[in-house]
Amino acid sequence: MTAIIEVEKLTKSYGRRRGIADVSFQVGEGEVFGFLGPNGAGKTTTIRVLMALIRANSGTARISGLDCWDRSVDIKRMVGYVPGEPSLDGNLTGGQILEYFAHLRGGVDQKYLKSLIERLDLDTGRKFRQYSTGNKRKVVLIQAFMHKPRVLVLDEPTSGLDPLNQQEFDGMVREAREEGRTVFLSSHVLSEVEKTCTRVGIIREGRLVKVGGVHDLKDIKRYEITISFAQPVPLEAFAQLEGVTDVERLNDGRAVRLAMQGSADAVIKAAAHYPVISLTSYEPSLEDVFLRYYESDGQAPKEVAGVV
Amino acid sequence: MWFRNVFLKTLRDYRIAIVGWGVGMGLVIVSPMASVAALISTPAQHAALASIAAQFAWNADPVKADTVGGYATFKIGVFVFIACIWPLLAASRMLRGEEDRGSLDVLLSAPRTRLTIALQKVAAMWTALLVIGLISGVIAYLGGRAFKADFTLADGLMWGLDLALICMVFGGVALLISQFTHERGPAAGATGGLLVVFIVVDMVHRVISGTDWLSRLSPIYYYNLSKPLITGYGTSAGGMLAMLAIAVVLTGAGIWLFVRRDVGDVVKVPWLDRIARPAAPSRSLPVGDWSLRSVYMRSLGMIAMPTFWWTLGFAASAAWMIVAVNQLASKMNALFASAQSSPAISVLKNIGGGSSTELNGLILGAMFELMPVLLMAFAVTQVNRWSADEDEGRLEIVLSTPKSRPAVLLGRFAALATATVIVGVVTLVTASVAASIGGVALDGGNLAAATLGMIPLGLLIAAIGYLAAGWLRTAADTGLLSFLLAAWFFISFIGPDLKWPDATLRLSPFYYYGTPLLHGMTLANLAVVIGVGAVALALGTLRFARKDIGV
Repeated sequence: MTAIIEVEKLTKSYGRRRGIADVSFQVGEGEVFGFLGPNGAGKTTTIRVLMALIRANSGTARISGLDCWDRSVDIKRMVGYVPGEPSLDGNLTGGQILEYFAHLRGGVDQKYLKSLIERLDLDTGRKFRQYSTGNKRKVVLIQAFMHKPRVLVLDEPTSGLDPLNQQEFDGMVREAREEGRTVFLSSHVLSEVEKTCTRVGIIREGRLVKVGGVHDLKDIKRYEITISFAQPVPLEAFAQLEGVTDVERLNDGRAVRLAMQGSADAVIKAAAHYPVISLTSYEPSLEDVFLRYYESDGQAPKEVAGVV
Repeated sequence: MWFRNVFLKTLRDYRIAIVGWGVGMGLVIVSPMASVAALISTPAQHAALASIAAQFAWNADPVKADTVGGYATFKIGVFVFIACIWPLLAASRMLRGEEDRGSLDVLLSAPRTRLTIALQKVAAMWTALLVIGLISGVIAYLGGRAFKADFTLADGLMWGLDLALICMVFGGVALLISQFTHERGPAAGATGGLLVVFIVVDMVHRVISGTDWLSRLSPIYYYNLSKPLITGYGTSAGGMLAMLAIAVVLTGAGIWLFVRRDVGDVVKVPWLDRIARPAAPSRSLPVGDWSLRSVYMRSLGMIAMPTFWWTLGFAASAAWMIVAVNQLASKMNALFASAQSSPAISVLKNIGGGSSTELNGLILGAMFELMPVLLMAFAVTQVNRWSADEDEGRLEIVLSTPKSRPAVLLGRFAALATATVIVGVVTLVTASVAASIGGVALDGGNLAAATLGMIPLGLLIAAIGYLAAGWLRTAADTGLLSFLLAAWFFISFIGPDLKWPDATLRLSPFYYYGTPLLHGMTLANLAVVIGVGAVALALGTLRFARKDIGV
């Protein structure tokens, strides 16, 4: 697969503040690439370098072989962009905003634009400032998709969208992929990336700690299951099961809290031998995952630090 | 300590403004005190100054203008508008600005009533204004002592209080208007417009007899009732109480409306609601809208409404000035006939900043001095929008389209240039028509130079603003431009009185504007302004093309 986004040893700092350091990865054409990281990890900084909104201190960023800074205008012809914190003229209606950006892009297929408006159920007659957070996000999503760009650069695109519209968004990304277009999507929600992406890059404290297939996420994806029973149960019944990394006894043995990694199949089957009252599963935030993942000595384990 | 309640936190937010505006206003009143000594060195000059000031009553009441306190009061005259800028900005930002940013939602989630929060914020602003008045009053007193004025510290403080009260009035106006606007900008703009209108309404009774009733409608009238720096004239308790009452009523009305309306919304005006019925959900697109076709057109669309109001203000001011000249001309003729060889002429030149003895042109020239200052102020407000757009992230998506950064910046600048040209041309046409109707003989070429010559000045400060926006955030950029404007104003209008060297006077663009109504405009001077502006714009464009956006 030809690489359409190439980032090599990209470094950006804001004076004394950390930005990103030595970030390198490639995204193949037609790929949906998830860029994962906790808040403040450097996702937006990387994206803003790609969009030539900020200039890297060192390293290179290229899209379709063109340098993101030197050839930014050419690159922006083929890119659709959703910023992390979209801000637009509050006095314009959604329709006016879309029409304005359509003109700035030299015109778009009006039929396709209207289909996107229908699809995301946007009322184009209201002023931007009157929109809810979700509707503001819809306007920004539509302007990013409306010219059918070859590359979509989306910074936490579903933030504020309701589940129905998130589904619609997933569909739009899927269609883009089927049409051979590339999607570069940042998120701090593991499940979202799992759902839509083929490959992922994980960034933490400005450094890329992992790049690989979406299946590699299971290596770091941890979650907790708490099971309450009608009677005390032995801890040993769960401690050695596949996927269980830690067991904690609660409520005089009438409940267990299991730290999990990977499939929960063995746990469910084991729990079925006892009278279960309730079962709750909790997916920790990415920050929690990272904290736990790095808690040993603050360094990334070797098998994770390496680029896959 | 400063984070214990809303009052203290708001007062803390105002700390820089308190010092800046307190010292600034103090210096504003002290500057003419420094210059008056040169004007009244002989008894003949005393008499000349007093009689000429009487003919310039449109500017301010000419009471004891041949004394230090009297001349300072007379000279700053209409420049009370400078003092009112901060309160109108602060009051429009106080509630509406915070709503705009979304920070008021969080504040209102605290266990405090809206009324308490609004009252504490207003109390903080009024306290800030009183401290500003206190600082400037003390500086006025110290300045008076340095230049041998005869007013006391109490007089200086009363002057500061008078100033604080008129500021409270216009803060109240801005607070009230901001309840009807979605953003703070239009509220500040409308209050600024009203301020100019009220200044003009106050002037009317000093130019046209029998119009005292009209001027009483202006709060500025009550401000001018007190002249504490003039010994023997003193303070008008009635005037001060009137201002306090107006401020309380306007501010109270603003708070009353704020407590009752939806946060983030505006006060519903029933008849407006009937006109703007809620539209059914729409999926349509404004395909034919001209203002959405390019960055330039969109910028022009954004600037259209403020340009309309400013143009109206300029045209009205120009027409009014010509009418005022007609009123003054007959009185001045008699004075000039008897005073051609007296110190009156040199005094008049100092007041007007001109160097001609042609009557109409001289008076009109003095009045027209304000026009380029106002046009530059208009340019500053528009530059403010540019840097605010970057600060608030509104340029991000525009810059993700295939438009180069220079094209975006130059599109915005071109729209501002178009607006200033419109202001200049409409002012020229209005002034010509008013002169023709009023029978005031004006040199057409000089009038064109005076009106169209303002345009490069407006563009110069805009270009400097765009350049500074490459490094500074909105507040700092606007502050820098306001400072430059004030500094240039004082270099050009106080500098000659203080016999500053020519090299210093050349630092102000008003030097190059000169007195075009009297002498036309020289190409060399015009070239200097355009040249500096072009360099600033080029550097600003270069900086914008290379800078990190929103950092």
